[in-house]
Amino acid sequence: MHASGFDRTRPLLLLVMAAAALGGFALGHPGIVSTQNLDSMAVFGIEIGMIALGQTLVICGGDTGIDLSVGAIAGLAQVILGRLLHLDLAWPVAIGMTLLAGLVLGGINAVAISWFRIPPIIATLATLFGYQGLALVLTGGINIDLTHESPLFLAIGQGHVLGLPLQLVALYLPLLAAFAFLQHGTRFGRALYLAGTNDRAADLAGLRASRIRAATYVLCGLVSTIAGIVGAARLGTARPDAAGEANLISIAIVVLGGTGIFGGTGSVIGTALATVVIGIVDYGLSYNDFNPIYQAGVIGVILIGVILVENPFVAWRDSRRTNGA
Amino acid sequence: MSERVATVIKPVLASRRRLPAGREVLLLATLAVLVGLISLGSHGAFWSRVNLDNLFVGSAITVIPAIGMTVVILTGGIDVSTGSVLGLTAAIGGTCFAAGWSLAATVPIFLASGAVLGLINALLIINGRIPPVIATLGTLSIYRMLVFIVLGSNWITAIPPALTTIFVVDHLLFLPVVAVIALVFLIGAALFLRHFRWGRHVYALGNNEEAARLAGIRPERIKLAAYVMLGLLTGFAALLTLGQSPMVQTSTGSGFVLQVIAAVVLGGTALSGGRGTMLGTLLGTLVVQVVDDGIVLLRIQPFWGGVALGAVILAAIGLSAHHEIRGA
Repeated sequence: MHASGFDRTRPLLLLVMAAAALGGFALGHPGIVSTQNLDSMAVFGIEIGMIALGQTLVICGGDTGIDLSVGAIAGLAQVILGRLLHLDLAWPVAIGMTLLAGLVLGGINAVAISWFRIPPIIATLATLFGYQGLALVLTGGINIDLTHESPLFLAIGQGHVLGLPLQLVALYLPLLAAFAFLQHGTRFGRALYLAGTNDRAADLAGLRASRIRAATYVLCGLVSTIAGIVGAARLGTARPDAAGEANLISIAIVVLGGTGIFGGTGSVIGTALATVVIGIVDYGLSYNDFNPIYQAGVIGVILIGVILVENPFVAWRDSRRTNGA
Repeated sequence: MSERVATVIKPVLASRRRLPAGREVLLLATLAVLVGLISLGSHGAFWSRVNLDNLFVGSAITVIPAIGMTVVILTGGIDVSTGSVLGLTAAIGGTCFAAGWSLAATVPIFLASGAVLGLINALLIINGRIPPVIATLGTLSIYRMLVFIVLGSNWITAIPPALTTIFVVDHLLFLPVVAVIALVFLIGAALFLRHFRWGRHVYALGNNEEAARLAGIRPERIKLAAYVMLGLLTGFAALLTLGQSPMVQTSTGSGFVLQVIAAVVLGGTALSGGRGTMLGTLLGTLVVQVVDDGIVLLRIQPFWGGVALGAVILAAIGLSAHHEIRGA
């Protein structure tokens, strides 16, 4: 095991799972392994993948850290962006303002959790209500059409660079690199692992555990906002309910990626690989015309299944280590 | 053994007496202000028989699972799958109704399916050692998928009218029957938590699981009972929901759990376990329901409902949470 608590067998396991999932779907529909389908898979997976990066840091920070409001933030961000674009603001300005709004939305979570000491589940459940409601209020429940906006804006969700989706090359991979560096290469990252492992120890070491956690909620709000913007550009609409299942799916991805739910372990690298697995499963199901309710159900099964398989394994490994020492 | 249990329980009793009084007074005041504003804004329509009956029926349907949720949270757990449990039991029971089963024959189906779904949650949490939020977030989507499988893309409207007559239309002591049932359940649960050994064990467990275990309490059994009881009560609430509006669809019950958890947490039950009362849960439910009712009566755009509820939760808990919620 790595010093940061990242299990090195995990990436291998995830690659095998991804290959198995792709192989499984290919048995039924060989056509699924085409350039075009792989491209769509990436496009569909990127938005939830970004959200999962933020969720990883939140869960890694421990103290029952969890953000249930990620989907509501993505939806509200889209709606804010849509309203701003309809005010005839230039699209870069509108995006800049939306990103600021995203920082505020994440900041509200951070303040509620770190300053008012509201347990994360309750705080983000309340903001889930609030943000979702605001998105509906701002639209009157109707989708905002963005198909006539600047082609440059729409390219954020539809463009290609070197044959790869623009948002993969220009947004997701840089974000992944930045988050990986933040988690593994900075003092903040080490402080986050310590805060997640042992709150008291972190405080005694002079690190403000609650402030470190607050930063993770702000970052999570920011990436959820970016995901919302990309989604709006991809579909050319802003929908208040754009990312309804994002909380479940992002948590499933984080857990599958090897981040322990009690904090202090895991890595965004694992999260990225797990995003590939979930992306394939999700795309494969919709390719086979399953209702989205089935996709959520299957992801629920994966979420529970992974932990059920993992728990006895971890217990076995820990007992071996204790006996060996 | 009972002496050892007593040493655990005495400090718990003291802390329980001291804490919630402030919260309950605060909730009563909030409720009074809300009712005052809504009666003024609605020109007295709030006090109409129809509105009060609707309010009481809605509160009863929320508070019955909220009783179970309070106990689950008291043990230090949580269940976010309640809305899907309600939807799935309604779908199973509704299918029986559609097949021509009588009301009396179907009631046990509702209760049993609710209890089984609660049992599955309990086994995942206790034997599977999955944290309660994660396990029930998983079953939330799995149970919802099963609703879809049971119903297909159909609606069920073949609900016996007697269900509505018995529980919603008929009155007892000036209240709809379902409200009287809810009150009886609440009083029963409050007495159980206060005076019965298992009730005291719930608080002891929520305060300090390890100490409770050393004192001879078996946490697994109490947790199991709590989740199964929540499932059972949710099954009963599913039956009542069909009495309130006689239709089952794939979305039945989605969003319901938020109302239930909001009511319990507003009522002062600490998410860390070990602190909370049934009176608080009743008052929390009434606040949530009155806010909802006010939005309808004052003809506010219904989308504001979520915003209002979110704000009320953050404000109420934020105000008192600083030193109360986390205990330490």
